[in-house]
Amino acid sequence: MYRLSVFLCLLLTLGSCQPDVEFESSGAVFRTGDNPQWAAPGYDDAGWRTERGTTGSQVFWVRHHVLLPHWDSTAALGLVVRSFGGFDVYWDGTRIGRNGQPATATRAEVPGTETSYYLVPAALAKPGPHVVALRATQVYQAAEQRFSDVKLHSYPRLLRDPLLIMAFVNLMAGALLLAAIYYLFLFSSSRQKDYGTLIFSTICLLCFALLMVEYVKFYVDIPYPRFYTRLTIIGLLTFAIALLVPLYFTIQFGLPRKGLVAGGLLVVLSGIYGLNYPHYDQTAIYLSQAMWLASLLVVVLAIRQRAKGSRLVLAGLLASAVTHYFLYFDYSLYITFTVILLCMLYLHALRVRVVENERQAAQQLSSRLKLELLKKHIQPHFIKNTLTSMLDWVEESPKQGAVFIQALAREFDLLNDMAEATLIPIGQELELCQHHLQVMQFRKEVRYELEQSGLNPEELIPPAIFHTILENGITHSIPAADGSIRFRISAEPCATGRTYALLTRARNRPAEPGAKVGNGTGLQYIKARLTESYGTGWRLHSGAVPEGWLTSITISH
Amino acid sequence: MRIVLVEDEARIARRLERMTREYFGNQLQQLVVCDSVTEALQALDATAPDLVLLDLNLNGQDGFSLLANAAAGAFHTIIISAYTDKAITAFAYGVLDFVPKPFGEERLFQAFARLATAEKKPDGGLRFLAVKKHGDIVLLDIQELRYIKGAGIYSELHLQNGKKELHDKSLEKLVQLLPASFERIHKSYIVPIAQAERILVQEGSRYHLQLKNGELLPIGRSRYKELKAKLI
Repeated sequence: MYRLSVFLCLLLTLGSCQPDVEFESSGAVFRTGDNPQWAAPGYDDAGWRTERGTTGSQVFWVRHHVLLPHWDSTAALGLVVRSFGGFDVYWDGTRIGRNGQPATATRAEVPGTETSYYLVPAALAKPGPHVVALRATQVYQAAEQRFSDVKLHSYPRLLRDPLLIMAFVNLMAGALLLAAIYYLFLFSSSRQKDYGTLIFSTICLLCFALLMVEYVKFYVDIPYPRFYTRLTIIGLLTFAIALLVPLYFTIQFGLPRKGLVAGGLLVVLSGIYGLNYPHYDQTAIYLSQAMWLASLLVVVLAIRQRAKGSRLVLAGLLASAVTHYFLYFDYSLYITFTVILLCMLYLHALRVRVVENERQAAQQLSSRLKLELLKKHIQPHFIKNTLTSMLDWVEESPKQGAVFIQALAREFDLLNDMAEATLIPIGQELELCQHHLQVMQFRKEVRYELEQSGLNPEELIPPAIFHTILENGITHSIPAADGSIRFRISAEPCATGRTYALLTRARNRPAEPGAKVGNGTGLQYIKARLTESYGTGWRLHSGAVPEGWLTSITISH
Repeated sequence: MRIVLVEDEARIARRLERMTREYFGNQLQQLVVCDSVTEALQALDATAPDLVLLDLNLNGQDGFSLLANAAAGAFHTIIISAYTDKAITAFAYGVLDFVPKPFGEERLFQAFARLATAEKKPDGGLRFLAVKKHGDIVLLDIQELRYIKGAGIYSELHLQNGKKELHDKSLEKLVQLLPASFERIHKSYIVPIAQAERILVQEGSRYHLQLKNGELLPIGRSRYKELKAKLI
């Protein structure tokens, strides 16, 4: 935030700078032909055209009249020429530089760059009227009636200003590039493919590219035939950003109908781009305004849905609108982008926190489940009743009592072994079930039988799932006339994955008044275990069937 | 002696049955064993028991609804439970004893022995009297009692707000449950000491206890001395 505010202040001072040299200039006048006299300040150019017209590969001259009301002759005066073509530049008849080379009969034109800078010799930089003349050819883009413009500046300022601007642009671009790379890594290394992260990374990369392409003009002399190429790239980058930013907000705020938003926006942006085609700067302005409006709309919707962080983003958007009002477009566009990016970074930080919380919750769930698994067998109901029965067995028939104790010890061993695991082989689970049934047989004096079919002992399932279903079956069933309760565990593949079914063959105990079926701690444990290992990729059904009670679990692959 | 035994663990139920038969011997007229709340409620209605042995957790169900029912009954209840932390609550409802699992013969017989002794426990822990009212069970705080009057096999609970409730337990059984702050002043009256104002001696050595609200209750001749010692 600090960096941003410094940046904003500096851009404000830059943007609000008046030209440092006071001068007046009349519009350019053109004449096809070639005469060294046309460079002279005294030459009367009254009949010259205000447009270049058709020149083909012919030489033409451009004259600019500038008035320098006062000037301290010890300072260095700089001249900025914005014009297409290859040309020599004359100041009051004296050649002070060239930008490319005009074509001659024997040599092709060397194209110059669109904006060129010159030092006016100190002897000639005096207050009063001056003439800047260009002897030029424009072989490329011959049909383009590009304006010709001159400006006077303090020469040191001409050297320093791009450095200052670039310092901040590079700072911003570096941050954007880092963010792009970081979020790309984050996306590619994360197991859950969060497309919000990918879009965010792309937006950062596009903004980085936009800054680079916009300000490459200070580093590279782009020949004028390529001038529009750069503007086209800028337009396309702006287009992509204007499309992605509102889309990112819809994803970030979890709004519905993202496809519709993206589609609608695409149509609007394409319309803007098509309608304003040759007017590059205007297109960029409209595109960024459309982006701003679309983002605003999304954010307002998000606020209505009370999405986290939406108010801050709204504030950011409004702030960017304010800067836009005060600043020259080029700067304000990047400030808008920067503010929006900062908003997005903030949202991302929020999201990271949510993910962190979720992970923490998952860890807590795991340790809670582990605890629950161990608690199952030290809770008073189980342990005290078991001990009471055991006491009775030991008193009445010590031999059977010893078997009972062995079975309980084995059950404890098995539980202890699986307590740390989130998934265990089915074989181990079945062994646990068998020992549990043996223990319960001693307690309840009911014969429990466990059948199985289609089970692969190597397959993995969460621990104590079948065990918990068995416990429920034991508790809620009335034994058959022969004093037995039969359980059947089976597995079979189904369309979405694998279904495990546990059938309790017995009469169900009538529900006691006030009891709710399907909400017991047992089922909650099973659900929590399934969520822990499979997320949402499971289904559990538990209900009465003619033979007794059927619990089925489907796990999707 | 008719006893209802509520326990869902077959082995433990048999153990209890064996020990109960051993203790009561010929005195035992009937012993009903049930393993669910519904069955137990039916048995309580059908049997009119003198004693209920009750497990608090039946088939995964909290037995406290049953406990409240039992506490309101005419019979004494002994809880036999794995949940020792529930003992205080059980006593607050007015059970005769709480036998924690696992239990041996000695501890169970000790609980049975309480049936015969009229002696109060110093900190019986009884806090409520469960009263059946319009098919529901209402818990009355014993702090609200003014006095209890015996009415045959029932007791009348006279409350400080002037209302009167009927309790299914006899005065004899209530005496066994009520804390030491309650005094039996007459074969038909139990009074919380805090409600007593003074003893009035009338001619023919007839004694009356004047309560804080001015009401007079007779004092049994044999109980006069003990009461006087307590009041002074």
